[in-house]
Amino acid sequence: MSRVYKITLRVRRFDPDTRMTWVQEYELEAGRILRFTDVFRKINNELDPTLAWNSSCEHAQCGSCAIKVNGKPLLACELLVENAITHFGGTIFSIEPLTIAPVVRDLIVDIDKAYERVNKAKPYIIDPSPRPAGDKEYRIAPRELERYVEATRCINCFCCAEACISSHKNFLGPNAVMASIVRLMDPREQAREERLDLLYSEQGVYRCHTSMACSFVCPKEIDVAHFIALAKANRFRPGPS
Amino acid sequence: MGNTLRIGTTVHCDVLIIGAGGAGLRCAAEIFEKKPGARIMAVTKVSHPQRSHTVTAQGGMAAVDPRDPVDKPVYHMFDTWKGSDCTADQNIIKKIVDASWEQISWLENHGMHFSRDEKGGLSKRTFGGMTLNFGESPAFRAVFEADRTGKGIMDTVWGEAMKGGISFLNQGIATELMFSGDRCVGAIVFTQKGGEFVAILAKATVFATGGNGQVFRITTNCRQNTGDGLALILREGLPVMDPEAIQFHPTGIVGPGILASETLRSVGGILRNKDMERFMERYAPKMKELAPRDLVSRAIETEIREGRGILNPDHNIQHVWIDLRHLPDYVHDEQIPEVTGFFKKFVAIDPKKELCPVRPSNHYQMAGIPTNEFGEVQRGPQGLIPGLFAVGECACASFHGFNRLGSNSILELITMGKFVGERVVGCLGENPGELPPEAGERTFRQFSRLMEAKGKDHVGKIRDTMQALMTDKVSVFRAEHGLIEAIEALKELKDRADNAPLSSRTYAMNQELIQRWELDNLLAVSMVMTQAALRRKESRGAHCNEDFPERRDEFHYHTLASMTEYGTVNFAKRPIDMSLFEAKGEHYEKFGLIERKY
Repeated sequence: MSRVYKITLRVRRFDPDTRMTWVQEYELEAGRILRFTDVFRKINNELDPTLAWNSSCEHAQCGSCAIKVNGKPLLACELLVENAITHFGGTIFSIEPLTIAPVVRDLIVDIDKAYERVNKAKPYIIDPSPRPAGDKEYRIAPRELERYVEATRCINCFCCAEACISSHKNFLGPNAVMASIVRLMDPREQAREERLDLLYSEQGVYRCHTSMACSFVCPKEIDVAHFIALAKANRFRPGPS
Repeated sequence: MGNTLRIGTTVHCDVLIIGAGGAGLRCAAEIFEKKPGARIMAVTKVSHPQRSHTVTAQGGMAAVDPRDPVDKPVYHMFDTWKGSDCTADQNIIKKIVDASWEQISWLENHGMHFSRDEKGGLSKRTFGGMTLNFGESPAFRAVFEADRTGKGIMDTVWGEAMKGGISFLNQGIATELMFSGDRCVGAIVFTQKGGEFVAILAKATVFATGGNGQVFRITTNCRQNTGDGLALILREGLPVMDPEAIQFHPTGIVGPGILASETLRSVGGILRNKDMERFMERYAPKMKELAPRDLVSRAIETEIREGRGILNPDHNIQHVWIDLRHLPDYVHDEQIPEVTGFFKKFVAIDPKKELCPVRPSNHYQMAGIPTNEFGEVQRGPQGLIPGLFAVGECACASFHGFNRLGSNSILELITMGKFVGERVVGCLGENPGELPPEAGERTFRQFSRLMEAKGKDHVGKIRDTMQALMTDKVSVFRAEHGLIEAIEALKELKDRADNAPLSSRTYAMNQELIQRWELDNLLAVSMVMTQAALRRKESRGAHCNEDFPERRDEFHYHTLASMTEYGTVNFAKRPIDMSLFEAKGEHYEKFGLIERKY
């Protein structure tokens, strides 16, 4: 229970005041179940208060702490020291910010820029369908909800967008596309044409190369590629598919 | 450098919302419904509204479905009153309970992905303390979205606010309110990304800044919940209400503090100390692990204090075990998969084979900025501040009194969010304020003090010491001598904080600067909390004073606490509304000063 590991973090840093980028090495001891967010806090407290990183809920429900560890996008709050050593087979870790948006400082990126693509997908009901007469709520059978409920668990951490092999510039990205697909599958949405236009636009699903990296890295274990595949198979148009 | 300490930009809008979680954005959505095209700005400390603490709410939202053949609003009102230990305001209870189902429908109609029953309606589950017929049997009253109800609310209100055309200023902190005479006309906001001070002038300003969980070492709250809203109100010389009313959940997971739900105990989880003794048999021979939250919390704390806890070496935290090993596989796999997943993911423990570490964790502030039923902020026992509103966990109307029931908090966010939104619309005819000549000066004095501090101390270490102190002396158990010690220790920590230099003098995304600013807020909130606890010589709801273990009627009031200078706290009282009792209607006798026994 009380095993302590000596680990080395090679952190890519950026200082917006000088526009300098460098890799800084931190060596420290960490217990086996410390999360990488705990490790960053330890660095701030014991080694370097200036290292900037992001987190909020620290239990994989808000997506704030997404970074790359040895090239893999993940949530720092979910990565325990011992698991990381087992998973990556070593005690030296390269830590980098995501590349889906410009870096503000160190591990913090300008997430507003990344969100612009989600906003384009309009993550709300654009035009609500009429409700059944006399009912205050819509009725959605559990079977119908089951088809898309998985996709509603997305927290927009952008790990999928980071792992996606299609260009960030030309493709809206897996999470943004999925935000629109959810509402195409939701019977409460009427604005189907507008959503389909976006899905099949220049920035839409045909930019996807079906590497399925999105599903592979998703911290919420959502099969993102499945939803994109449905769109590619034209499953949301009326008529025979 | 000197050039930075000035107002870089002045922005005008109709409504400024400080905090963009569930309550703030439900309020925004209401304003857009009533007044399309309103210019609303929402400032949030987190990097995006979806990163707000609201997303961590798991269980559900209580609301009596008008079609329910057995449940009635009056039962919900009674449960809330009893749960509050007779300290909630009955006008607020009635208002929220009566509006609840309509607000659930609103969320459903706007796209929230509620879990459904076989007929396609909204599924409902039971929750501790929520009963039928005044305590007779559990009520199926809480609607939910799987184990992520808060996230469902957040996504929905964020979407609606965006649809209405809101402007977000993410990673901004409000440092000072601006007044024109009596009227609040906006706030000074520091933008972390740009390192710039912005003056935001608004016809109405709404506080929705959330809780203060980071006062404590072990908390279920997110990293940003540092009591900023309460501290800002205190800095303005205004009072906060019931700061001593803080809720602790008996089983937080060590060390991340994630909530290990009550379900673990209801499916048969056994609490054990380091000698493997089932200690609840000593504290509650009949109910054992199923005793109420506060009783279980106190039992665990006692075990730890008397040396029967276990030390987690990685997080350096004392805890007890919850034993789930004897439960059959189907219980693990079907009934508690989420919590089992938390143990596996965050502490690398397999609950089928190993003991799981838990301990009481700070969970919720019943405390807050005093408001009336419309969310208008009160200046004291009498009088309102025109143009200033508060809603959500940072506000105190008060719906929860001294103890909140599970499934009532996110209900409060969405109902009060709507009511405050309605009221704010009434302000939009006001003339826009002008930038007061002294605007920003207090902020600049504060920031230059933080930037110029000299000495050898360390912000992170002072915060850690403060969190340990508050967890030790001002949490589940409070005793006179401990509280007095804590007050002295907080004063010392405040002095130490003033001698903690920053490693970097930059303004742009300087996390240490923000943490230093937060430390001032945490210390301010901790001080009023501790002094208010010392003054309340009784036990009431979540406030357990060991030297005065009974509730006493002479303390049947809300505490109003303001702070002129650090450590000097002034107190006043606000009466508790008992309009349901006084109306002498049907069942009125249930709303008197009843015993809180389960």
